[in-house]
Amino acid sequence: MTAAFLLITAIVMFGHMEDFLGAALLSRPLVLGPLVGIVLGDPVQGIIIGATLELIFMGNIKVGAAIPPDVITGGVLGTAFAIMSGKGAEIALAIAVPVSILAEMVISGLFVLRPVLSSRFEKYAEEGNYRGIEILHVASGLTKPLLMGILTFLALVLGDQVMKSFLDSIPPWVQSGLQVAGNMLPAAGFALLMNLMFNKKVAAYFFLGFILASYLKLPMIAIGGLGVILALIITELSNKTKVTDDYEFEEEPEVAAGEVKSPVTKGDIRKVFFRSLALEANFNFETWQNTGFAFSIIPVLKKLYKTKEQMSAALKRHLQFFNTTAHGSTLIMGITAAMEEQNSRKEDFDTESINAVKSGLMGPLAGVFDSLFWGTLKVIAAGVGISLAINGNILGPILFILVFNIPHIALRYNLAFIGYNTGNRFLQNLAKSGIMDKLTTGATILGLMVIGAMPATLMPVSTPIMIGTSGSEVALQGILDQLVPGLLPLALTFLTFYFVRRNVKTIWLLLGILALGFTGSILHIFA
Amino acid sequence: MIKLTRIDDRFVHGQVSFTWVPSLEINCLVVANDKIAADEFQKMAFNLAKPPAAKLLIFTINEAIAFLNDPKSKNAKIMILVNSVGDAFRLTQEVREIQSVNFGGIRMKPGAKLITKAVAVDDNDISIIKLLLESCIELEVRQVPGDKKQLMANLLQLQADQI
Repeated sequence: MTAAFLLITAIVMFGHMEDFLGAALLSRPLVLGPLVGIVLGDPVQGIIIGATLELIFMGNIKVGAAIPPDVITGGVLGTAFAIMSGKGAEIALAIAVPVSILAEMVISGLFVLRPVLSSRFEKYAEEGNYRGIEILHVASGLTKPLLMGILTFLALVLGDQVMKSFLDSIPPWVQSGLQVAGNMLPAAGFALLMNLMFNKKVAAYFFLGFILASYLKLPMIAIGGLGVILALIITELSNKTKVTDDYEFEEEPEVAAGEVKSPVTKGDIRKVFFRSLALEANFNFETWQNTGFAFSIIPVLKKLYKTKEQMSAALKRHLQFFNTTAHGSTLIMGITAAMEEQNSRKEDFDTESINAVKSGLMGPLAGVFDSLFWGTLKVIAAGVGISLAINGNILGPILFILVFNIPHIALRYNLAFIGYNTGNRFLQNLAKSGIMDKLTTGATILGLMVIGAMPATLMPVSTPIMIGTSGSEVALQGILDQLVPGLLPLALTFLTFYFVRRNVKTIWLLLGILALGFTGSILHIFA
Repeated sequence: MIKLTRIDDRFVHGQVSFTWVPSLEINCLVVANDKIAADEFQKMAFNLAKPPAAKLLIFTINEAIAFLNDPKSKNAKIMILVNSVGDAFRLTQEVREIQSVNFGGIRMKPGAKLITKAVAVDDNDISIIKLLLESCIELEVRQVPGDKKQLMANLLQLQADQI
């Protein structure tokens, strides 16, 4: 068993390595669940449990300093204990919810402690010692996987026997109560996602998605495809050519013949992209992603600054507060690289302007990329992935990773070059063309259609209530299905959404739904 | 109607567009900052970032005061964003309607200390905070609407006791 425990610990550590892997969703339950399943010899169960947990924790995203429950540790431990004791997804979630809340507290503590290293980083910057900064950034980043790994291993070794006998002693009615509650819990995820984009103007798209799924029974991939087409038509995004043409004739000079060849190569910008994947390794509550930014830009600085003084000044510049959406961070890095290059050539360059641009862009771009990556791409990836994985299909987790990461990596890679080559001009053109508004609207349409489809397909909540006199009883569910299939899940989603809009905390939402499902099961109102 | 006055040195970003705007049904974001109002590049960047549901107005502090006191602005559901305690103070002095200020994010600067994970204040800030408290303005610290309201008065009291 110890071998299995070690492997499960390794999975948790891999999950927490996400800070080095560019927040690429590799740490989500839908990916880690199947891995746990493989280790314990039941991959199909791993996929199903992973999908169930993904549904419930789907709305948990990291915006700013609001750290969500740690679903890595919670999800893996829940999946592992459930499979080891031969139980289903309902047991996994009963473990995952409390464990992830506890683990989140540990991680928040770590983020509070990390600023202790600040003075060390500053000392290295003073000395122009970029190696020191690199090593410390990586070392600090390793503390989270190590810490959570140790805690997981301890939980497995110490909890194994206790957990098994505890889980075996759970009476069947509790288990069926948990199952009903588990089927209802995704409402929290849907409601949290709806909160990102739902308003009266776009509500229709949510219901369109719902109808396509509930009446027409279209699979999630088809609804996503329809969403893309609809978004393109409505926003007229494909008609953008005219605007881009306009600026082709504008300023384009800069690289006049005979100009000094840039010491910064394509390879250096590529390095910036790769290093940006580790942007959040030393995430902390004082200076946030600052060392990650410095870590990413160092390949460029090395080429530009040869004296200790220059390097020291540059390193100090980039140890200032930084925070933006990791996925789009390379755009700012590219622009910064171009500005640093200007600075290295011109004596009178105003170095203040570098940080002014950095801090001017990090907020706005976080707004843009948060909504693109968390609000839309993640939702579609999860919708497609979960709808397959919930039936044990291995394509689920695979598509989940691909749907998110093909655009993610393509964009992240190219943004570094766009930023470096065109600097601010790219953004100015973007603003002039008005494409951004269209893009956000299109993304909202698409996202809402997919979310609308989710209650109808991914929330098997029904009622066993019979109505009428004995002898001629009719199942209430049958009547409901004839009217609006999926009415109960839809109603439950909106009920939860009502509480989300009233700022009820996620933990209370989860507990509330759990209680509703549990009592509903005991009273035979829900099944 | 002013729904929220927030100090956040990143102005418009994910927390604002994603949580505050939908939760308070904001349809008008007012960025009040003298520097940004004069900076075309910054204005451009914030226009990229604004949520589609809300209109974005970028004003100098004085323009903002005039706008907020104009009866015409009463129909909009407004969220005001400033980046410093000082600017918030200027607004509260001139705009009667502001009775509460939300502290969202003030980054660490030399001489300041963190009082919550996202808010750092220095002695100058604290002296202005005292003035605000004296004029009976509610000062609360929350990053997102779902956070528990922490009152600035209590937080600073705590700090003082620790020393």
